[in-house]
Amino acid sequence: MLNLGLLRPELILSGLALAVMLADMVLPPTRSRWLYHLAWISAAVVLALVVCALAQPASRGTGSLWVVDSFGQFFKMTTLLASVLCLLLSLDYQALPSRHAGTFAALMLFSTAGLMYLVSASDLTLVFVSLELVSISSFVLAGFERSNPKSNEGAMKYFLFGAFSSAIMVFGISLYFGAVGTTKLAPGPAAPGPMLLLALVLIFLGFGFKASLAPMHFWAPDAYEGAPIPVTTFLSIAPKLATFAVLLRVYGTIFPAAQYGLQALVGLISVLTMTVGNFTAFFQNDVKRLLAYSSIAQAGYLLIGLAVGTPMGLEGVMLYAFIYVAMNIGVFAVTQAVGEEGGYGLDAFDGLSKRSLGLALVMTFCLLSLAGIPPLAGFMGKLYIFSSAIEAGRYWLAVAGVLNSVASVYFYFRIVDRMFFRAPSADGSPLRVGPYIYGGLAVAVAGVLFFGVYPEPLIAGVSASAHLLP
Amino acid sequence: MTLAHYLTVAALLFLIGLFGVLTRRNVIGILMSIELMFNAANVNLAAFDRFLHPEGVAGTTLALLIITVAAAEVVVGLALLMAIHRNLGTAYVEDFNLLKG
Repeated sequence: MLNLGLLRPELILSGLALAVMLADMVLPPTRSRWLYHLAWISAAVVLALVVCALAQPASRGTGSLWVVDSFGQFFKMTTLLASVLCLLLSLDYQALPSRHAGTFAALMLFSTAGLMYLVSASDLTLVFVSLELVSISSFVLAGFERSNPKSNEGAMKYFLFGAFSSAIMVFGISLYFGAVGTTKLAPGPAAPGPMLLLALVLIFLGFGFKASLAPMHFWAPDAYEGAPIPVTTFLSIAPKLATFAVLLRVYGTIFPAAQYGLQALVGLISVLTMTVGNFTAFFQNDVKRLLAYSSIAQAGYLLIGLAVGTPMGLEGVMLYAFIYVAMNIGVFAVTQAVGEEGGYGLDAFDGLSKRSLGLALVMTFCLLSLAGIPPLAGFMGKLYIFSSAIEAGRYWLAVAGVLNSVASVYFYFRIVDRMFFRAPSADGSPLRVGPYIYGGLAVAVAGVLFFGVYPEPLIAGVSASAHLLP
Repeated sequence: MTLAHYLTVAALLFLIGLFGVLTRRNVIGILMSIELMFNAANVNLAAFDRFLHPEGVAGTTLALLIITVAAAEVVVGLALLMAIHRNLGTAYVEDFNLLKG
């Protein structure tokens, strides 16, 4: 059944991305900021379309190439939200060459469209193609400051690791095809042969690179540090969460990790990821790098939900994913505001509370939320994920998660300490904050405070959409 | 020629590519090794399609898509290499060391 109507949001977004790209050739360079506006408005329109279609019953398109279910719609929502906010942030980012504004905005939209295909894919062919659409656009975005050697280097490392991981994953897919006879995702045999197991492990490794799980995380700090900061924000949120969505679809329901004895492997990677992320973050003096390691550690917490593999673990991952968008947008928006003036060293934060108290407070809330301190939203998310581990009898995962959260407080507080207890280094004048950064900050504060104090609507929404169409 | 022959060739290609990615120092060399890994998957797909599952077209379709996507990926990689070569004057990965923590 060819059911292209189901793909309406993705098709509209791709069409608008092409329109932005074409408009770039027509518009004079002085008007290039219009293109960012056009881009974020188109992403917002598609977001509205997806939100309106949330209640739509689950259905399949074109045989079983993709499914439109509430689980996929939920992750499309988080992706589009991140994309809108990152495009708003790039309006206030000065270092982007204005000559190529349309290319930048269009690539961001293409990447978003790829992520939307990815979260609804139910066939490894579509998974591969959409993952490549995301990766190839992100490689260019990460290297967008062409004359900045750091941006070049970050993009090159990102590219080499990304292409390498794609190759590994594709080899896994080819073995999967040999073992099963199709690239569709369908429940596999009860007793898998060695070829199927090898295929599943290789595919998992490929996804692990994209979600920056240890020990496949080496590219992340370099790519995050080199990339323009709106792109860093995007990379740390959207592709990571969408990769988790695919991982959940593949390993959560179709090939339950427990059934295939992969649960110990996933749990081990989860603990390794959060430990490596947190303990390397201790020694960072560049904020972007510190946040890169922080986001690696966050991926470790999310992976607990996958290692548990129960419906509650699934809900925990979705809940935490949604909150993660708000927390990370807040942290990166403040970092961008600070970094535009004083660079991205930790000392740029010295005495921020005396210069702009509002920014310092937002940053503090978001950092505490990332560390998982009640009553902020991050605490709710972690509570949900850790209790799913306890419920399933995997106490060691919960213990590792809690210990890591405690350890992470140390490096999050290094920033807070600098903001509140140090004298401003240069001048004490208030920070100049662009109007669009406020957009990101508003979402962050609303999400972190509101859902921390009153999480019921979010929990209800998540449990209503935690249904996968197998 | 049986399936095992093809699979052996594919596995060897994959391992040679993997070895190359891990040991090559020049970006062009790494790109070539990655191509070997992609093509190992293509050989696998074509062989499985011919010997095990000749009824459908899923395997060959995927192989065609992989060829296309790999070409697009290399184009972006070479563009990035041009940019970095213009700024740093080198194509060796050990010289890319501005970013460290």
